[in-house]
This record gives sequence, structure tokens and C-alpha cells, in this order.
Amino acid sequence: MGLGAIVVIGVEDEASCSTASQEASALLSQPLACFDVLGRSVAGRVIERFVRADVDVVSLLVLDGSCIVKPRFVGFKNVDVQIVSDVYAAICEKLKDYSRDGIEHAFVASANAYQETDLLDLFYFHRESRQAATRSVDCQGPLNLWVVDCSKADCSKARPSDCQNLLAQAQTSSASYFIREYVKRLMHPRDLRQFASDVLRGCCSVRPPGQEIKRGIWIDEGAEVHRRARIVAPAYIGRASNIMEDTLITRFSNIEKDCCVDYGTVVENSSILQNTHIGICLDVCHAVASGNMLLSLGRNVVVEISDPSILRANGAAWKSAPAKDRKRANNGTLFSRRKLKQQAVSELQPVAGSAPEPCGLEPNPIQG
Amino acid sequence: MMEVPENFDHSEGRTFLAELQPLLQSDRPRIVLDCSQVQHMDSAGIEMLLNCMGEAMKRDGDIKLANLSPVSAAILELMRVDRLFEVFNTVEEATRSFQAVTLPDVPQSLPWYSPGFGPDDLKSAS
Repeated sequence: MGLGAIVVIGVEDEASCSTASQEASALLSQPLACFDVLGRSVAGRVIERFVRADVDVVSLLVLDGSCIVKPRFVGFKNVDVQIVSDVYAAICEKLKDYSRDGIEHAFVASANAYQETDLLDLFYFHRESRQAATRSVDCQGPLNLWVVDCSKADCSKARPSDCQNLLAQAQTSSASYFIREYVKRLMHPRDLRQFASDVLRGCCSVRPPGQEIKRGIWIDEGAEVHRRARIVAPAYIGRASNIMEDTLITRFSNIEKDCCVDYGTVVENSSILQNTHIGICLDVCHAVASGNMLLSLGRNVVVEISDPSILRANGAAWKSAPAKDRKRANNGTLFSRRKLKQQAVSELQPVAGSAPEPCGLEPNPIQG
Repeated sequence: MMEVPENFDHSEGRTFLAELQPLLQSDRPRIVLDCSQVQHMDSAGIEMLLNCMGEAMKRDGDIKLANLSPVSAAILELMRVDRLFEVFNTVEEATRSFQAVTLPDVPQSLPWYSPGFGPDDLKSAS
């Protein structure tokens, strides 16, 4: 008996089709599931869970234009990636293919939620309940994770609308599978922050990659941390990131891969998403930063920073930026590194005329 | 009280500074800046604010910020400038804070001790 899995990226939940998703699209250029959180994207983690559950084949359906299919998705064994324009038609097609290949059951999951349920237990529950599709739920409501019985659904003749109906009906059917384990829905960029915080707190089974150099401090491969930088556990520094001198990374913060936190900056209770350069002497507090966008979670506002010396995208995007911007970032405008160093040196140098005058050894008026 | 422009960058900031200059030149300038309209602020704008505060303080005055928009509040916090200014929820509160600092005039004729319990009271008590 075969078992397949279809993972969908780029389709929003019913609950997230609101202002939250607008904020997410304003901040981020691709779906939340594609962003690395502690070294790996949620989509990658969802696929990994199916691969570990010994599912025969995993199909990744990416909604056209929603994100770049990264090589690491292709890197999994038995995972095929497909860019689609109509998700339900693509699911229907995949189920037909599975049916043809002798696969009787398939998981259908959205990459927008990470759950730590026992997938085989879900499958056995579905088989015993003898229904066409079983949807999983948790204490917050239905989740986009189904098990579909290909033979009962008669997938070989199914149309996309039938497939959509089948998944929708599973919600109203009596037997839903209740997940008691850890679940994290990604509906808003703040969920990325919450997920990172949960992992660093040890609320779920995910462990950050890299080396745990001290208890609760994970440094991934190729990351450079200046010896004058201060990292307070728990925290994560991603691959090839650079933490400069006099910085402070604290309170469950995660710095993802290829980031740079420059001189004197404090990152507190924040997530710095991949390829982000944080300028010097800043306070990034209770926020999510990605490229030149900053989401202040306390104020619930997305701020676009036009000044590249403060916040900007790193890597390829920055290399293709206009020379004017790069020069501006190097010189800085308000707090340039050169200005700060000059200021520090001038403070150390004695100011002419301000030195205390030497005390004259005059006779003590009391003693005479 | 002056309203900070919606786009508080280099070009808009110069216009704003030109309008603010006469106030800064006065004796003990006490200025409240209403930041409710600010939707974009860059480092040139912040630098201008700091320069204005420096000028005001040289003349024994102060600049206070009121009614910060979420964007301006986030940027000021990011750049650690929020701690340099006194920030108020409303313009009225900021204006009142200036009045609270000035001490009421005490008539010179009053004695330094409590007028309710003077030397005459002591005599009558004995």
C-alpha cells in the first residue's frame, strides 16, 4: 500500500486572507513558508517530516510567482517540484497520478503551518474512520492537513472542483483528527518571530542547526562573531552571518543566514531574516527585519527604510544596487563608522587647556 | 507648535527648518513638534531634528515631540533618538509640560516661614 504527500506553497489560509496577509506581502517578497527560520524554511521542515515518515513520494506544488523554488527543496529524495497556476487542478492531477501509480492514500498539506503530529497515526485514524478525506484540527480550529483516500474519492475521474469539494467536506465531516502536539500557523510575519522564539525556548522538537557554543547559543557554519560582540542565550546566528563589535544579540533573537549586524547595534527579541544588513548603532527591538523593511511588532507597522546605511538587503540584491546608494551606505549620513571612531578618539585625547592645574605646595595655613 | 511634514526627508526637511528657524532664534524657544502626519522619515530628517534640539538647548529652550505616528515612533526607536526627546501622546500634554516647569511667582513680602504659625502665635501660645 503506497502513501504520497502533496505540499502546497503560496496558497493562503481562509483565516489569513485579511489585513495580516497584506502586511506580510508589504514586508516580504515571498510566502512566509519560504523564509528561513533558524536555518530552514517551514516549507522545508514540512517536506522533511513527510520524508522522515517514509512517504513514498512527495510532490511540492508551488503557486506560480509566489516564490523561487530553491535548490534545497529539490535536494530531498523522492520530492518532485512543480510550478502551478491552479492549485486545486494540480492537486487533482497529482491524485490521479498517484492513483495510477498504485498509491491509495495521500497527505495534502499547506506549507503555511508547521505541525509535529505523528503522520502515521493520522493515516491510521483516517483508514479506520472509512471516509474519503480526513482533515486535521487543533485547539485553534481546522488545519490545512488532510489525508485523502484516492480510491474512495475516485480520483481518476475527478475534476478540480470535485477535489476542492472533497477537501472542504472533510472539514464538516464528523471524524476529524485532533492534533495535540505543537502547531504553528504562519499567517503573519509575527508568526515567524513566534516560531523562532518557540524553537529557542524548546517548546517544540525542532533544534537549531549549527554548533551550540554555549548553552542556548547556536552559531551556524561560517558565521563570524566578533569577540567584543555580546550574545545572550538563547539566540541563533545563521550561516555566513557577520556580527560586528559591540553588538548585543539578546532575548530569543535569531539572525538568519548571510546577514550582517553592524557596530554597536542591539537586536532584542527580534528576527533578522536572511540577507539583511543592519546598520550601526541601532536598536532593533521586538521586530522582524527583512531587506530594507522593518515590521515593528509592538506598533504593528511596516516601515520601509530608504537609507541603505540603516537597513538594506545584503548579497546579490545589494550588489546590483545603484553605486550612489552603495556609496551612501559606506559613508553613512548620521552615524557613520568614521564619525564614531573620530568621536571616540577625540574623547580620549586630552583637550588643550582643560587639564587640571598642578597643585602648588604652599604652606598649610593652619599649621603655618 | 509645528507640524512635521509627511515625508520628513532632506528636501522637505529644509523647508521645514526654514519655517522653524525664526522660532529657534527666539529667547528660550519652547517648541512642540506634532509628528502625527509623518509617514516617512530618513536619517537626514532625524539629523535635522537633533540639530534643532541642539539650537533650542543653546538658547535654554527645548523641543518636545507629540502625537507620534507609528512609523515615526518606530524609526525614532530604531535610531535611538526617542530617548533624547521628551515624547507626549498629545500636543496639549506637551504644551502643558512646558507650563509645569515654570515656577509660580512668590510675593517677596511673605516671610520665609509658614504664615499660619508665626512668632505672634508662639507668644500667644505661651
